[in-house]
Amino acid sequence: MSVLDPPGSPSSLGITVQSDRLAHFVGPSGDYWRLLIRGNALVAVTLGIYRFWLSTDMRRFLWSNTVIGGESLEYTGRGIELFLGFLIAIAVLLPLYIVFAVIPFLIPGLAERNASGSMLIIVLAFLGQFAIYRARRYRLTRTVFRGVRLHQSGSAWAYAFRSSGWWILIFWTLGLVYPWAEASLERYKMRHTFYGDLPGHFTATGGRLFVRGIVLWLIVVGPMLAALFVAPFFDWSALDAALSKRDIGAGHSKMAGVGVLAGAAVIWAVLAALALYPAFQAMATRWWLSGVRFGDIALTSSLRTGQIYGIWLRFLLGVLVFAIAAALILALVPISWNQLAKGAHLSSGLQLVAAGFALVAYLVIVLAYSTIYQVIVKLSLWRVAVESLEISNFHMVELVKAEGQQSSPFGEGLADALNVGSF
Amino acid sequence: MSASGAGIFFDGLTGARREVAIDLGPVALRILSAQGTALAEWPYPEIERLSAPAGTLRLGRKGSAVLARLEILDPVLTAHIGDHASGVDFGAVSERNERVRVIAWSLAAVASLVLVGVFGVPLLAARATPFIPLVLERRLGEAFDAQMRSILDRDHVGSRFACGTAEGEAAGNAAFVKLLHRLERGADLPLPLRAIVVRRSEANAMALPGGRIFVFRGLIAKAETPDELAGVMAHEIGHVSHRDGTRAALESAGLSLLFGMLLGDFTGGGAVVVATRMVLQSAYSREVEAAADGYGVTLMSRIGGDPRALGAILARIGGATEPAMKILLDHPETAARVAAINAMAGSSGGQPLLDGAEWAAVKRICSGN
Repeated sequence: MSVLDPPGSPSSLGITVQSDRLAHFVGPSGDYWRLLIRGNALVAVTLGIYRFWLSTDMRRFLWSNTVIGGESLEYTGRGIELFLGFLIAIAVLLPLYIVFAVIPFLIPGLAERNASGSMLIIVLAFLGQFAIYRARRYRLTRTVFRGVRLHQSGSAWAYAFRSSGWWILIFWTLGLVYPWAEASLERYKMRHTFYGDLPGHFTATGGRLFVRGIVLWLIVVGPMLAALFVAPFFDWSALDAALSKRDIGAGHSKMAGVGVLAGAAVIWAVLAALALYPAFQAMATRWWLSGVRFGDIALTSSLRTGQIYGIWLRFLLGVLVFAIAAALILALVPISWNQLAKGAHLSSGLQLVAAGFALVAYLVIVLAYSTIYQVIVKLSLWRVAVESLEISNFHMVELVKAEGQQSSPFGEGLADALNVGSF
Repeated sequence: MSASGAGIFFDGLTGARREVAIDLGPVALRILSAQGTALAEWPYPEIERLSAPAGTLRLGRKGSAVLARLEILDPVLTAHIGDHASGVDFGAVSERNERVRVIAWSLAAVASLVLVGVFGVPLLAARATPFIPLVLERRLGEAFDAQMRSILDRDHVGSRFACGTAEGEAAGNAAFVKLLHRLERGADLPLPLRAIVVRRSEANAMALPGGRIFVFRGLIAKAETPDELAGVMAHEIGHVSHRDGTRAALESAGLSLLFGMLLGDFTGGGAVVVATRMVLQSAYSREVEAAADGYGVTLMSRIGGDPRALGAILARIGGATEPAMKILLDHPETAARVAAINAMAGSSGGQPLLDGAEWAAVKRICSGN
């Protein structure tokens, strides 16, 4: 089978646009479970150092099992590169941390206002955006398809400025500008992304995401806005008087209702956000994938919302099963927790053993949850997203010329050190 | 024996896909086009296996800037390549060796990290402390002072958090300052003491860097004699003299660096780091507390107070302030501590450090509340 002549090729039909279900994910979940369980055990034993090799393995699995037009992607990154990137990032961040730690003691009066700490958080948030862009460059230049690698130009500083600006706006508009922020940032990323000499771009618009997302936003935030809106019409001094007298009698029942209403609005927002998150995720993923272009090659995604709900329900089930299993095992532990908490009859040595055990148990539980999440949620999302793709003009890949060089893993290291890393 | 078969070839220059014939020669693998022209020749030792889905053998050239790829789906041919090319790293042996090395070195690093944490950090902090200029220690003290006040001042009384300034507290404050000066004269410190009584009901006291001491009103309530209060203050002055606050700050920074930064944060790692730090820091400070007890006893003897008074008040309040977990105990266990104090102190005696009226005034130092 050759991708040169898929069904309905341009020559036979005389049209230039063609599309087909060309993308498949062929990785068995069982292999991914094994990979993650083994990898996370090693992460625990090496106190985290193995994580660079684990994430390399995860990417290798995801990439090499993603088959597009009969050819699989290839991830050429190595664990040792990520480790070195992390060490470089530490070398950069360490002086920064030290400077910010020492400044308050050198300038009198600064320590009381804790300005140095807030400054550091702002600087780190900015660096985090920088790291996200550089890490993306690393991953792209380690992605090879049909003997040609992807690469990324553009400036990580420019991206960090854009992204930080947008996040401030998102915060002040309660998320209303999020669609335009996403579209703008994605345009910047894709405009600087290349597959060989084939330039990428991003065609989805913020307006479209907004139109689709506004209903969800209104359901989540609406009641809170309504509560804010009606607030001025209430007699607040009467409410205050009522509350201070601790006498919420018949005359003040309306005032007490405001508090109840506000609380209910917040609880509603949290519950609605949780319940609607999969719908949002499906919508945003579909919107994003359908905007991706490389030259004339265009993606369309037909990801269904029900699929994403299915994934999250399976995750809840997985967590439930694990929680029951963990509770059963912990119930068999010889030292009862109650006794441990009192600590009265235990020697120092035994307490150390018990504390060590608790720590190990905690680590096992947390890593197990992470494994369940990675396999059930992340892997399934990847699978359904890939399978949902339709690709037009795929035959253009035949003409792509190789270009681009491997980039340094510094961005990945920084992202890891700042905790903004992803795949 | 020469074997051949079919494969798919990408030359690494364009994305074009070519169906090719593969010929396994004696020293190299040859890639031929459908027409039979040679496209490439790869010596076996330069070939490496790359990641691919199950059932596909993907080969490339080691260290080559051109990402030429050869894919073979035929299991028979795959087996033949295995027979022929002993140089091809099929089982990803070099990769596995790298990982075994990583795991071994990581375990060694973890062991050395723990050793550095247990022995290196306190040693280093103790050595470095004398080199911290007093000016810096005083700044550190200012920062700690503000931070501790905001933590301890639970009722947000602000400037009234310190006792002794309100109406009716002046006499108590005068007596407290008298006691403090007597201790300070005997102590011979490199920097002036700044001790205050604060509105906290626990029986406790603490020394911060830069000669700052907080005495909780709860301690004064529990003290039965002026010498018991003085004993605890002498213990805290021991911390000031030994510059323990600065040393603890250095230790804390060192441990944060060691366990927070170098290990980075993997899932669940944060809690491990915090727990390790807590246990290690409690362990360091147990020795420091014993040293401060020793200083306190000596100071009390020098100024003519009762050196056993510290032990007496500790025995009275000790049990209540001990945490449940002994490994988190930052002071030595009370009974052992009192015994050590009494052994050092020898006989008790001497005049009380404050007279009856003064002591009664100190007892009322927070009465303006």
